[in-house]
Amino acid sequence: MMTLLGISPQLLFGQLLIGLINGVFYAMMSLGVAIIFGMLRIGNFVHGAQYMLGAFGAWYLLNLPDLFPSLGLPSLNYWWALVLVPFGVALIGALMERLFIRKVYELEHAYGLLLTVGLAMLIEGLFNVRYGAAGQQYNIPEALKGGVNLGFMFMPYYRLWVIVAGILVCVATWYAIERTRLGAYLRAATENPDLVRAFGINVPRMLMLTYAFGVGLAGLAGVMAAPIYQVSPQMGHSIIITIFAVVVIGGMGSISGAIYTGLMLGVIEGLTKVFWPQASTTVIFVIMVLVLIFRPAGLFGRETVAAHAADMSTARPDSILENGRLWMAILAIGGTIVPFFIYPVFGMKILCLALFACAYNLIFGYVGLLAFGHAAFYGSSAYVAAFTAASWGFPTELAILSGVAMATLLGAIFGWLAIRRQGLYFAMITLALAQLVYFYAIQASWTHGEDGIQSVPRGYVFGVINLNDPMAMYFFVLAVFLIGFGVIYRIVHSPFGQVLKSIRENEPRAISLGYSTDRFKLIAFTLSAMLAGLAGGTKAIVFQIASLADLYFQTSADALLMTLIGGVGTLLGPIVGAIIVVTIQTELATLGSWVIVVQGAAFVVCVLFLRKGVVGTLEDWLSARVERKRIAAGGGAPVVERSSH
Amino acid sequence: MTTHVSDNIIEARGLTKRFYGFTAVDGVDLDVKRHSIHALIGPNGAGKTTCFNLITKVLQPSDGAIRFNGVDITAESPARVARRGIVRSFQISAIFPRMTVAENVRIALQRPVGTSFHFWRPERSLKVLDERVDELLETVGLLSLRDRSAADLPYGRKRVLEFATTLALEPELLLLDEPTSGLGSEDVERIADLIRSVSKGRTILMVEHNLSVVSRLADRITVLARGKILAEGPYSEVSTDSRVVEAYIGGEE
Repeated sequence: MMTLLGISPQLLFGQLLIGLINGVFYAMMSLGVAIIFGMLRIGNFVHGAQYMLGAFGAWYLLNLPDLFPSLGLPSLNYWWALVLVPFGVALIGALMERLFIRKVYELEHAYGLLLTVGLAMLIEGLFNVRYGAAGQQYNIPEALKGGVNLGFMFMPYYRLWVIVAGILVCVATWYAIERTRLGAYLRAATENPDLVRAFGINVPRMLMLTYAFGVGLAGLAGVMAAPIYQVSPQMGHSIIITIFAVVVIGGMGSISGAIYTGLMLGVIEGLTKVFWPQASTTVIFVIMVLVLIFRPAGLFGRETVAAHAADMSTARPDSILENGRLWMAILAIGGTIVPFFIYPVFGMKILCLALFACAYNLIFGYVGLLAFGHAAFYGSSAYVAAFTAASWGFPTELAILSGVAMATLLGAIFGWLAIRRQGLYFAMITLALAQLVYFYAIQASWTHGEDGIQSVPRGYVFGVINLNDPMAMYFFVLAVFLIGFGVIYRIVHSPFGQVLKSIRENEPRAISLGYSTDRFKLIAFTLSAMLAGLAGGTKAIVFQIASLADLYFQTSADALLMTLIGGVGTLLGPIVGAIIVVTIQTELATLGSWVIVVQGAAFVVCVLFLRKGVVGTLEDWLSARVERKRIAAGGGAPVVERSSH
Repeated sequence: MTTHVSDNIIEARGLTKRFYGFTAVDGVDLDVKRHSIHALIGPNGAGKTTCFNLITKVLQPSDGAIRFNGVDITAESPARVARRGIVRSFQISAIFPRMTVAENVRIALQRPVGTSFHFWRPERSLKVLDERVDELLETVGLLSLRDRSAADLPYGRKRVLEFATTLALEPELLLLDEPTSGLGSEDVERIADLIRSVSKGRTILMVEHNLSVVSRLADRITVLARGKILAEGPYSEVSTDSRVVEAYIGGEE
């Protein structure tokens, strides 16, 4: 048998085939994401969950008799599923658009992403509660069993079918959008909805159908995937981050680009499995980094459209709740009293996560950049602190500082890469980069894979204070938190912070005043990463462990959720959010998978009904009360009339 | 530096901008004399704002070169040309809505101080600028509103505030994009007076639709139509040019 570079043709072609299959799924999925993004300006994070729904839909149809024994329903096979399920999933998509997504079109794009993140957590969480992590088997349909021997490899019929059918679906979609009248209306509607409305076209319905169509594609991909992969609640979650990376690599504004990129990356991934198996999980993210460096607009993208920082801050600068000195004192006193009433461990968890959320708020709330990968900074610092303390015997403070240094370095690099693209792309890039770090930690030897670094010694601070005493540990964490909180307050209220504020409020104007806004954003991003690292490193010492969970997507989502619940861009919001989220997680810990469902629901509720968060709402209420009192006291009308411009 | 700097602060040669097959600005040669008020006029879609965006580097020209004080700035970033002293205003009022009136002006004064990257310094350190902030607000008549949130100002005042912010940078060349658009007649007068009063020792290039403002303020007028220069000269000359009259009245057909 002839071999190529010591690799048998069976292995090579086998992996190429798997790569091509994956590529077909990437293409179908990224096509849907690109259409929804292009037409609706929604970063459809729930796309993975919708793909999972497709696979489960097929499985349900097959098992109808077992699921509803009393109804006497027939078992519907693969071919029925192929026709029915995409419509079913599209219908669910239409419903989701009508009930939720439609409500955020007029808002900052970030809300669309947050909403779909919540919906994804909700759906995947519910399936996880019902089916757990185990996958369900779905057999290859009778007609496509077996395969043909091509001489150099064995080609299963089902895989051949998936490749051919998937590519045909992609081409048909491309044709419908780029070459038909309906597609022309669609493209026009995204440019100028009012104009298209004036032609007598029902734009909201069109947008709903577009969303349903993109989602239906995901459902179709799910059905096709069911016989190949296991049908499991997690199947969509692992693919969506890769899909976002594919969309970043392909670039905006090209339907055919999404198809080529998806196929190509699947094949590259397959080849990497042959030649360098360890790198196969990360190769797509590495390619994304290279593309961002050398072709920031993406392989098929046009000139990047200048989108600007989003102002999502809900703070009222003159509110008593924004008075840093006052609250620093209150937090110091409150923090000192608290451990006598609650478990110090619970208090320390809140402090660590509150600092993490405050660090996140610096970039999200005060600069208006939707970063979505802060787990990378939190987690990498936790790992480095745990490793240096456990393996190298670093004293505690030095171990934490090493972690902080690592987070700062990563922050500078990730920031430098991500700032090349704006808006939702920024979120997708930071998400993908964090995933890169996550996959690295799974494979590296010093991180001990699934086990993480355990039994990290708490040690002594400055060689004297024994942190094995819970109270000493608590007050150390409180001190770290207060320092971090003070540093953030100083940054926000500095000459630098003033420029950040102006960038958030009106970036083009800040540029026209001579500020190179990207440099300010990069420094702010690096500082935010550094402080997230401070939280992560401290956490590793407190809980004596650094694990994959610290680097996982969920940790990034936690930071976002805490900031959102508490109030984006407010002084106290992240702290209030941390208290709420940690309490929910602790109270519901016994319910296991339900935690994710509740958190997903919290995302959705916050985006739809509580965009100002707890603290932002409170600040509004306080300010309205002051105004009422002033008028009641005969203060008269305000000096300047409000204008409608 | 005084060896031989030409009389022109801006010299654009063959300035061209194409957008996907449509040529918005087509080979424009534009000279702006130092210490003059120069107006760009023309019917809608003539390429006036595109010209502005090219000079302030918000857009990159497809062709041609721009020199500012004899230095080629064609390849520079928008923030860089702003630091050179070319500062623009926008068609819609460009303010920082949730900062106070005083902070709006101060953010412009802050950059030359050189502490803009100092994230460890307290905001108090900017107090030294307060005097100059108040002086500028006094000039434009906004001093009594200095601590109000900028979002609370009526539209006309917002434009005045934007103007004060722009002035704070002591720009050598001021580009005003339709400074009177959307304003009532009283505000138009106020802005026109302001423009005249700050024009001493400065160069102003403005896009303006209000021809009575142009006739009162501008020393020199360039008329653009379909991306090309149609006529150039003082108001008296340009306003009687038959091609200009046709572009404005007959061009709509």
